[in-house]
Amino acid sequence: MKRLAIIPAIAAIALPAAGQETGSRTGDAPSLSPVTWERLLNAADEPENWLMYSGTLDAQRYSRLDQIHNRNVGGLELKWAYQIPQLDRAETVPLVVDGVMFITEAPSNVVAVDAATGRQYWRYDHPLPDDLRICCGRNNRGVAILGETLYMSTLDAHLVAIDARSGNLVWDAETADHRSGYSKTAAPLVVKDQVVTGVAGGEYGIRGFIDSYDAASGEQVWRAWTIPGPDHPDNQTWAGDSWRTGGSSSWITGAYDPDLDIVYWGTGNPGPDWNGDVRLGDNLYSDSAMAINGATGQLEWYFQFTPHDVHDWDAIQVPILADLTMDGEERKVMMWANRNAFFYTIDRVTGEFLLGKPYAKQTWAVGLDSNGRPIRAPNTAPTPEGTLVSPPVGGGTNWFSPAYSPRTELFYVQAYDGEDIFYKRDEEYVEGDQFTGGGSQRPLPADHYHSAIRAIDPRTGDVRWEYAIQPRSTAGVMTTAGDLVFSGSVDGYFYALDAVSGDELWYMNVGSRVHSAPITYAVDGQQYVTIAAGNVVFTFGLRD
Amino acid sequence: MRMRSLWAIPAAAVLAAVFLVTAPATPRAQETTENQFTTTLDIRMGQRLFRQQCSRCHGRDGDGGELGPALTNGFSSTSTDAGLFSIVREGIPNTQMIGISRTATDQSVWMVVSYLNSLNDTGAVDLPGDPAAGQMVFSGKGNCSSCHMVNGEGGRRGPDLSRVGDRRDPDELASDLRTPDEDVLPRWWTLRITRGDGSVVEGLRMSEDTFTMRIMDENEDLWSFSKGGVRSHERITTSTMPSVNALLTNAEVDDLIAYLHQLRREES
Repeated sequence: MKRLAIIPAIAAIALPAAGQETGSRTGDAPSLSPVTWERLLNAADEPENWLMYSGTLDAQRYSRLDQIHNRNVGGLELKWAYQIPQLDRAETVPLVVDGVMFITEAPSNVVAVDAATGRQYWRYDHPLPDDLRICCGRNNRGVAILGETLYMSTLDAHLVAIDARSGNLVWDAETADHRSGYSKTAAPLVVKDQVVTGVAGGEYGIRGFIDSYDAASGEQVWRAWTIPGPDHPDNQTWAGDSWRTGGSSSWITGAYDPDLDIVYWGTGNPGPDWNGDVRLGDNLYSDSAMAINGATGQLEWYFQFTPHDVHDWDAIQVPILADLTMDGEERKVMMWANRNAFFYTIDRVTGEFLLGKPYAKQTWAVGLDSNGRPIRAPNTAPTPEGTLVSPPVGGGTNWFSPAYSPRTELFYVQAYDGEDIFYKRDEEYVEGDQFTGGGSQRPLPADHYHSAIRAIDPRTGDVRWEYAIQPRSTAGVMTTAGDLVFSGSVDGYFYALDAVSGDELWYMNVGSRVHSAPITYAVDGQQYVTIAAGNVVFTFGLRD
Repeated sequence: MRMRSLWAIPAAAVLAAVFLVTAPATPRAQETTENQFTTTLDIRMGQRLFRQQCSRCHGRDGDGGELGPALTNGFSSTSTDAGLFSIVREGIPNTQMIGISRTATDQSVWMVVSYLNSLNDTGAVDLPGDPAAGQMVFSGKGNCSSCHMVNGEGGRRGPDLSRVGDRRDPDELASDLRTPDEDVLPRWWTLRITRGDGSVVEGLRMSEDTFTMRIMDENEDLWSFSKGGVRSHERITTSTMPSVNALLTNAEVDDLIAYLHQLRREES
């Protein structure tokens, strides 16, 4: 057992002994010990590990490690690189458990490596059929762990359990029929003794759901449909039978509040994406945050960001939970920078809308009403001839993770100021085929637009600072007790900004697009920062 | 419809080689390598299927998108109709490129192939100008060759035009010559950079990213800058090329277009 002692928020980790080789392993103690639910509950207290997709259950992507900080980050250097043997882009967010890193690869594989050297322990390659239905690449974003078992989504819509010490398959559960358009790409979320998992397929006319499985057996515990059936009054928000093919997928990992026993999960676009004529109504619970009872799967409340969406603006973002003082009152909030270009702060106990403001260029709404419902601008729906609207189909942000620092009390998001011409067309539903009802086209070359890391005050929705990235970025964000914000860019950089000021502190050309989110961890007293770029996983640390 | 070879770059050729070696058997594709579905109606049907199944990555009109490359400047992974058919049907192994729906018939796939070819078919047409006279204008009065290279001869401060006839039709060529400031590709913007000491250097924007930029100045010298290492930088999004309207007669412009139009691969 080689867990480091719990590290106080401010204390620096001891540096390795002088003369010690970079990433050397003395073999004094074995790696990997069981990850109990207690450990997951208190993941923030062992920042040497990265135990789940968003770091902690509140999904803040904030680490208490501060050996690397805003005054020495300029000294970061490459420690190791792991080459994924697939040409697909890597969207993986690795986990680190007591010196072992678990990296997922396209299409649905996972490899365990030594977190100090990047050298392999084992790999698991999931066998896949040759008739997958996937809209947007062969992606996998990470695993979850409980005990000594990893849980991974697969492109054929299975959930698999893998032994964390050997890579052996423990169980394999089919969650839906991939031939109907279902697939799975997101890291699951462990909640007590269950594994909560979403599903992709919003471009194939699926009916979405969020599932929970028994971690030990793989048996389904509950299913929360993201489109209610005809026995529920909210089904009336779908014209006719359109609810059967209404999409509303759930393809990014949610968050969990153990005190409330509520799982928070975002849902995707209604289908067909760009032609709303065949699904008149608000189309609940598409483009929503769903608050689901962790034990029963019952819906506690929902908040729909974009009723009757016709621009493919999935609410597929990671919800971030924090406790804030707002107007003198303690609030348990959920913060959400949505693909529709608005930032929201919502009471996560009740679902009450507290505030919302644009954080990226948008032309589709004149504002939000007192309940947070958008007031649409005229003539912004797709047409056969095309309608120019901001944000573009990729949104003001998208699935890539934001972060929150309790030190600065700022929310950090990768934002994009862009536009698209949106088209509508008629389309018949054919099971297993794409069902989008239109398309989009960027009117100008990408270089005309840019992204920015924006730091948002969740009490006001105001942008405190921004750092421009060009032309566009689809990388997630991480923040640390060293007052750093790490992220990447499509133009192939991994970089660190000052979390307080937004000042540029360090950058490294990693040679390919970054479509993943950074993590940080420590082994043998050395803090590391890891990012996947292209199909390579890079790990950086300070010089010994 | 005739399919031209359109090898883009050596790296793409390597990718194509990888594909040829690793592509799984495609029995349906091997039944015929001749596209029988090339009528205007076939192309329209192919466009419809393309917009439904391919446009999310490659853009509504094949201009490229965030997930897939443009398909309007040739194909980097194949040079034949049969190869295109195979890629549309099966995808490219170990890449983001997946095959079309399993329910699509071979006929439908061929229609997509026809549509993709139509995006790249600028087709040789009869033009009023004289190519030989146009070549004289190009290297003489028009002074085009001072900036543009054709088959290894000419300047470097504009796009290489050795195969321009493959990618630009006569109307587009006329627009390029008469209104060069419209739709300037970012590669041909100018960056004006002010160094820390106040001196200024400007040149064609060879590439620019979040932290750095590289230019070619008017002497064809290459420069590299970190944005943090200079005082300021400014983008100029107009073209460095003058319009031919004030330089050439209409007949000379016609000759120049005729010359540029016949700069294509099969005639080299």
